[in-house]
This record gives sequence, C-alpha cells and structure tokens, in this order.
Amino acid sequence: MKTLADLKKIREKAQEEMKLRGSDARIKIVVGMGTSGIAMGAREVMRTFLEEIANRNLTDVIVTQTGEKGLSSLEPVVDLMEEGKETVTYGNMTPDKVKKVVVEHIVNGRIVSDYVVSTGN
Amino acid sequence: MQDISLHLLDTIENSVRAEARNIKVRVITDVSKNRLRIIVEDDGVGMDAHTLEMAQNPFYTSKLERVKKVGLGIPLFKQNAELTGGCFKMASEPGFGTVLTVDFGLDHIDRMPLGNLKDTLLGCIVGHPEVDFNINLSYSERGREQSFHFDTAAIKEELGDIPLTYPDVIEYIDQSLNQGIKNTNMEDV
Repeated sequence: MKTLADLKKIREKAQEEMKLRGSDARIKIVVGMGTSGIAMGAREVMRTFLEEIANRNLTDVIVTQTGEKGLSSLEPVVDLMEEGKETVTYGNMTPDKVKKVVVEHIVNGRIVSDYVVSTGN
Repeated sequence: MQDISLHLLDTIENSVRAEARNIKVRVITDVSKNRLRIIVEDDGVGMDAHTLEMAQNPFYTSKLERVKKVGLGIPLFKQNAELTGGCFKMASEPGFGTVLTVDFGLDHIDRMPLGNLKDTLLGCIVGHPEVDFNINLSYSERGREQSFHFDTAAIKEELGDIPLTYPDVIEYIDQSLNQGIKNTNMEDV
C-alpha cells in the first residue's frame, strides 16, 4: 500500500532533477474532455499520454484536460504547446496515435503532420 | 457513453468548467438495497432554478452557439439512470455549488457497467491540478462495508511544487486508486 512517505521520496528525487534542468515544463499537452470528446475516446487518449510519460520517464511534460472548443467532428482533440513555438492541434486521436506523437513530437521534436488538424491559436 | 464512469468523467468536467476548486466524488454500491449511487458535489458557481431545469434539456447548452448547439451530457446520464428504475437529482445554488445524485438499479438488465473508474479519476486528478478531489468509494453487502478514501489536497501538500504529471507521481496515484478500487470490488460493478 502506498503511503505519504513514498511521496516524500518522490519529491526529494524530483527536486534534485529540477536543480539541474529548471522547474519549467518544456511541453504542455491539453486533451479536450468535453462530452463529444469523451464519447469518442478522449479518456483513453489521456490515459495513454499518462502511461507514456510514466514509462518513458518524461519529467518535463505536463498534461491537462479541458472542455470542447468547437471541433466536435475531429474529436478526440489534443493541443501540444511548446515554449516559443506555435500550438499544434492533433485530431481524431487514438491511443496508437498518441504513442506515435510522444515518440516523434515530444521526444524527437518532429511534428506528426498526418494527424495535425490546425496550427497556431 | 458506454459506461457509468464516462458519465462521471463528463459530470466532473462540468464541475471544473463551473470553476469548482473542491470536488467530492462518491461511488456507493449497496447490494442489499440493490443500488449503485454516484454523488458529485462541487463548490463551483452553481445554477439558478431556471438554468438547473434547462440543463436537463438536450437542446440547451451553456456554451455559445458558434461553439456548439446541443448539450447531451446531462440528459443522457439521466436517461441511462432512469432506464434502470433509478433516479437523477440535481440541486444547485448560485454562488454555492452543485450536487448531483444519480441512482442506478444495481441488478437491472439495462444498467451499463461502472467501467474504468480508475482512468476517469486519474485523468481528472492529474489533468486538473488546481482542483482538490475528495474521493470515497464504498461497497456494502450483507451488513459488511468496505470503503476507500482518497484526498488529493494532502498529496499536493506533500509534493510542494512538483507537478502531478511527474512520472513517479502518476504511478503513485495510479497504484493507490487501483488498490482502492480493487478493495471495494468496484472493478466488477
């Protein structure tokens, strides 16, 4: 069973890492979690991002959930924001596509243009 | 929606959009009462009596028409509960928040499964770091009750400025929720 003492160890480890690379997240991922997104599988998209972050130990990425913004026919929709770069919006996402975006875009810095539905704001 | 945990996710997202900072989630399975009860209580902006009534109408949405024209989340949740002989109650007060109580007939043939409660809760906790979640799961059968309680405020206090999406933290929350869901038999509901 997990206890709060485990969290203390995690915090100490994370703080050591932040001393080396700074505390700002390099990439922010926003998963659209409105009713239509949920019905189209957005929860599984969110879960896959979290699994990939944990499995690949990506310590400089954060993921949040948001409501829908009028792209219902392209759900599940994911925004990927990187400091100093245009926001990239991926559409019709699935767990397999998420894995590809994590490897290509987040780890290797190459946008997966096949899944992009819009860029900019 | 294919299962109840997806409806729960939709409901929690409504609370977040209503600017809630504290959300209480209860999932109570009571075999002797033949009832599965979901309660979501938030401290968001709340709704007046008119909005509360309109929220149950599928052609009402709180969003601008250029964004979307229908609001099916609440009406579908209500319909799926009532199909099982259950009920759907929403109470709200502007400035104080909203409480949603949904009952399903536990052994009714039309009741959808509870589904993946862990994915719903993990995504909401990690995806809304500004919101504190207070989660209670309870399963009772023949006078015996097993329960699980999870409070994210204590976790955030312990973590300080470490984000909830830090890999080890995701695993910590994931494993804690999985254990609690297993201990309260919620994976089979």
